[in-house]
Parts: sequence; C-alpha cells; structure tokens
Amino acid sequence: MLIQILLILAVVGLLVSFLRHHGKSRTAAGVKIGFALFMVFGVIAVLVPSATSALAQLVGVGRGTDLLLYGTVVAFGFATINTYLRFKELEHRYAKLVRAMAIQGAEKPEDRATGS
Amino acid sequence: MTDWSDVWLVIPVYNEGQVIADVVRNAMATFPNIVCVDDGSADDSAARIRTTGAHLVRHPVNLGQGAAIQTGVEYARAQPGAELFVTFDADGQHQVDDVVRMLERMRAEDVDIIVGTRFKSGADTSHIPWIKRLVLRTVVMLSPRTRRLGLTDAHNGLRVFNQTVAQQLSIKLNGMGHASEIVEMIDRRKWRVAEEPVTILYTEYSMSKGQSLINGVNILFDSALRTGSRR
Repeated sequence: MLIQILLILAVVGLLVSFLRHHGKSRTAAGVKIGFALFMVFGVIAVLVPSATSALAQLVGVGRGTDLLLYGTVVAFGFATINTYLRFKELEHRYAKLVRAMAIQGAEKPEDRATGS
Repeated sequence: MTDWSDVWLVIPVYNEGQVIADVVRNAMATFPNIVCVDDGSADDSAARIRTTGAHLVRHPVNLGQGAAIQTGVEYARAQPGAELFVTFDADGQHQVDDVVRMLERMRAEDVDIIVGTRFKSGADTSHIPWIKRLVLRTVVMLSPRTRRLGLTDAHNGLRVFNQTVAQQLSIKLNGMGHASEIVEMIDRRKWRVAEEPVTILYTEYSMSKGQSLINGVNILFDSALRTGSRR
C-alpha cells in the first residue's frame, strides 16, 4: 500500500533529518513550515471532510479520519523526539553552568589547613 | 616510594558520607593530589571530605556521575604539574594497588588511556554477581566499537589517562551513560588504549549503592540518540 511506504518514509526521513540538523536554524524553520502545513491541512479537513477521504483513497487508506490519525501519530513522535533533544541540550548547558560555578568555588586543602 | 605528585585522582561523590573520608584517606596515603566532586549530595559528604586533605569541588545541584567526572577532570587538568589522571570510585570498590600498577604502565608504555577490566581472559569473575556479569558481558557483545578496540569491560569506572585525553575529554552525558561515551571518544579521537585487570570489591555498601540494571536501558537509549545527533 502506498500509505505504508509514505508513513515509513515520513518517519525515517523526519528522524534522520532531525538528528542530523538538530538545533540549526534551518531545522527550526522547517519545523515551523511543517507545523503550518499541518494546521492548514487541519482546517481543510474540517471545512471539506470529503477532501481528506479523497486524499486517503488516493494513498490507500480507507477513511479520511484514519489518515488524520496516522498523521497525528507521526507528528506526535516527532514532537516527542524534539522535546527530548531540546531537554538534553538544555541539560548540557545547565551542567556547564554548574561546572563553572563549582570550579570557581573550589576549596583547596591548604585553605582549611587548620581544620580537624 | 614512587613520587606521584604529577597524578590527580578524580573522585565523583554522591551521598557517600558513610565511607568517603576513609576512601580518600586510604588513597591519600599513596596519592597526594585528590579532587572530590561533591555532586550535590544531600548528606554530609562535603563535610566528611573537608576532614581529609582532598580538594573539594561542589556542584550546587545533582547532575550525575558523568558530569561530576567531567568537572573533576577540568579542575585537575588546570592544576600546575598535573600529568596523569585517574577516575576513582567513592564507594571503596577500587584498589589503590590497581591504580599504581596502571600508572606504572602509563609511564612505561606508549598509551593515552588505560581502562580497568574485570573480564580479562582467565580472570576469576566468580566474585562478581552473576546478573551483573551477564549484563556487562552483553553490553560488550552488543557494542562493535568496544570489541574492535579490544576492550572487555566497557563499564569499569577505574581509568588512568594522560594530558592529551584530559584536555580532549568532554563528557556530555551527565548520567551513567558516560562510560560508553568515553569508549566512543577513545575510538573517535584515536586515543591509544590498553586494559589492565583490576579487582572490584563488591561490599554490601557498594552493592546497595551500585547502579541498577534497569538503568542500562537508559544508557542504551541515550547512547543511541546521542550517536545520531552528533554534529
């Protein structure tokens, strides 16, 4: 079925491009465009339900709702990875900050030579 | 006695107040330079460390062992006269004798990093809990990189390395995934690596503190995603 190929390609393609270019401004723009297209698609689906069904038939899915569901699943997975990577990046910056503070406040043994 | 004044021990510490002072004192009998990185411990680890002669660097919040090691190495490599570096566990699992042997090899051989191993062929592994043995073996088997480098124990915390490695070391995984990250760095940066059989003491204390096996899943996941996202 066409839809299977499309879905798998979409998932793999998104994942690869994402992992490759994560954090670059072009990806950020790509995400926005993708999101905008998704929204437009949503509006069309609401206004002309038969359109999604027609599209679904075209790619080999039974109903338009199924097509929407598939699309949502892909988008959700994508968003999850995006969030995960963003958190990792943040964590890394946070670690650098903490490290700088820690090294700045280092206590040498000679500073407490009189201690127990 | 050999002069180890150019050697720095890096000890990441997280809630090890019970044992840390003894571990540091014991190591200090041989090694004059020790830096303890208190990784935001909630117990009295920092106070205990202050009773010893070790340098103390404190993370204001808990980051994880990988981050603590990186902090310790960055601190140690900036110290004048520092040539060799050792990552050493805070829970008393590692033996000073093993470190001395590894350091002597570092000075005699042309290598950048020596990693401790529990599984050198012929080694007696019966003291290692079987489930741990199984998991560690599986990790090595699943990692082509580890095998290619000829390493038999990717998750041994005892490592000795020189300035080259210390300068280039940049652990990004804050948590426990840093062991495989270091293996990856060895490969990518072409550090000359060797292995030395070491004894790990599995005391009741260290067993209760050791990383859970479930954590292995986290490590695998982090490693997989990080490899893909490398820029």
